[in-house]
Amino acid sequence: MTVPSIDDTYLDALEKRSIAIIREARAQFKNPAALWSTGKDSTATIWLCKKAFFGKLPFPVIHLDTGVKFPEIYQFRDTLAREWDLQLIVAKNEEAMKRGVSPQKDRLECCTLLKTQTLKDLLVKEKYDALFLAIRRDEHGIRAKERYYSPRDDNFRWNYENQPAEMWDLYVKPSEDFSHMRVHPILHWTELNVWQYVQRENLPINPLYFAKDGKRYRSLGCQPCTVPIESNASTIDEIVKELEISKIPERAGRAQDKEKAYMMQKLRSLGYM
Amino acid sequence: MSLSKINLVVIGHKDHGKSTLIGRLLYDSKSIPEQKLQEIEAELAKAGDESFRFAFLLDTLEEERRGGLTIDIMQTPFKSKKHVYTIIDCPGHREFIKKMLTGASQADAGVLVVSASEGVQDQTKQHAFLVKTLGIQQLIVAVNKMDQLNYKESKFDEMREKLQPVLKALGYEGARMVPISAFTGENVFTKSRKMEWYTGPSLIDLLDEEVKPSTRPVDRPLRAAVQDVYEMGNEKVIVSKILTGMLEQGRAIVLDPSGEVAEVERIQTFGRDLVKAESGDSVGLVLNRPVNASRGQVIGYPQDRARAPKSFVAEMIVFAGATVKKDEALTIRLGTADARCRVREVIEKIDPINLTRAAGSPDALAAGDVGKLALIPLDPLCVEKYSDFPELGRFVVEGKSGTVAAGIVLETEVADVECFARIHAGLGDRWRARPAC
Repeated sequence: MTVPSIDDTYLDALEKRSIAIIREARAQFKNPAALWSTGKDSTATIWLCKKAFFGKLPFPVIHLDTGVKFPEIYQFRDTLAREWDLQLIVAKNEEAMKRGVSPQKDRLECCTLLKTQTLKDLLVKEKYDALFLAIRRDEHGIRAKERYYSPRDDNFRWNYENQPAEMWDLYVKPSEDFSHMRVHPILHWTELNVWQYVQRENLPINPLYFAKDGKRYRSLGCQPCTVPIESNASTIDEIVKELEISKIPERAGRAQDKEKAYMMQKLRSLGYM
Repeated sequence: MSLSKINLVVIGHKDHGKSTLIGRLLYDSKSIPEQKLQEIEAELAKAGDESFRFAFLLDTLEEERRGGLTIDIMQTPFKSKKHVYTIIDCPGHREFIKKMLTGASQADAGVLVVSASEGVQDQTKQHAFLVKTLGIQQLIVAVNKMDQLNYKESKFDEMREKLQPVLKALGYEGARMVPISAFTGENVFTKSRKMEWYTGPSLIDLLDEEVKPSTRPVDRPLRAAVQDVYEMGNEKVIVSKILTGMLEQGRAIVLDPSGEVAEVERIQTFGRDLVKAESGDSVGLVLNRPVNASRGQVIGYPQDRARAPKSFVAEMIVFAGATVKKDEALTIRLGTADARCRVREVIEKIDPINLTRAAGSPDALAAGDVGKLALIPLDPLCVEKYSDFPELGRFVVEGKSGTVAAGIVLETEVADVECFARIHAGLGDRWRARPAC
């Protein structure tokens, strides 16, 4: 089935909604922060934040560093943080890293300690009351059940069975019952939409997304757990064209999504992204 | 060619086939990635359960797989020739009304799934009533499980006759109906060869034909909701969301409910200034003089500005675990404003399943009730009729643990509440063609 083109007004509508959501969150939360993996989704989200705040984000941007990210990620991160004048916080779980936690031993434990726990520790220290995350509904079945505002309890758990009502654009209010609120500005965007937006806005993109020797990364995780796909798309335009006809899911190369059944569900209920 | 986005809510009684229909729509429109399909085949081979095949696709939570229920809502897109539909699957179980309403509040149109063999059940009526109450005008009825009745025309006609008075009572007179089998795919994406007696379009073609995307009302009076005020340099930038109409640079605007007037000096977005902004836009405004701008205010032009009425009448749905009583002070959220309102009168209580109205004037609305109330704002608040300005005519009521009720504004500045109550109690759904009071 041929895909009719998505034009500017479609992307404009997506963008406007996201900006309104970001501004709402800023109005309602005293101490927000944004997570940034340097991937295309979180980079697009940071760009949307720049638009929402007319150029300068009034809150910090957090990179959860597991120590085993691709080197290209670190370079990209530092360059862009400078260019976009971001207040960058790099968070690491040094203690777990010293203990030798690794995916070869136990992937669930590794993700939980090096990502989730790092985030938890940072939140306890800095008392952020809201976190902007770049997740989208079409990424994974579990994320499809998310809301624009999604509270986390004091144990950082996501109570997916009993989510608060979210009527129209009257999003869940801050409450003492929650440790923090997750805000998802691009929840309604698809993978293709993000690339089309990147293309239109000419956003800087991590070179890992582009093909080298017939392979490229469609999703960027940590180096040991991310597998590239077969592809010759070496520019943003080529990636957009490739996605328009692809039927392979985006996170096909991400091990934590598949391994044990319901791994992603377990991770998310424990506070993962 | 540009596609419009349509949000579709799929409603109906438990096990009438909502999830199966959604799975079928995704499958037939080829929206499911190959790998996901293979995963499902593998899991099904283990479980040996063919009949939940497509619903399985959507139920990714462990508990749901075991119980066969759909616990929460999901938004999954698929494309037709004309639109990008985002389907919101809604739980059919009666305990999950809060989740169902959350999903329905995002919808442009609804598909009501009714099993041809079981017929109209409680949640069939309740769901349709609730989505109508939320303001969804467009509804299509899918008469499902025709495969179980050998695709007989007489069975479809029977269902149609039973449905027509129910739909009329709910306010959906004239809603179009399609005979389908979500399980076998008949008449969902393609016209069925097993039901040649049916001369209408397939479900997807009917949706493309009938459902209009919600249009941005640019011709309406200006209404912009103030989200925040940013201090940038020595300027105050009033960040607002344009709800209806067109905001133009250079024109005089009013900030309500305070009533301050100023001219729009600049309309700002990141990187450039605009000459005008229209409904859907989120922009920053710089005015030509200092004003007391704050979140919750509504911006309009002087000749058709927003009003802060002394009272208003709303139809409200109360969620589980809450009650709303006469004389109680409620905290409501409407637009970007928070305000307290007193319940002047509980005019009427309606049982959404039986559509019966309680006799006399009830004192309270309990969990699960739908009713009409007269409210008096205790803080100045801009309120509009939902039929005029939807974003300023809908609200939620906040309790200790979040949202406890949702409401739609029917009338503002009702001078004589008793008169209104007398006329409207007992009018049933004919209130929608109500006389002025």
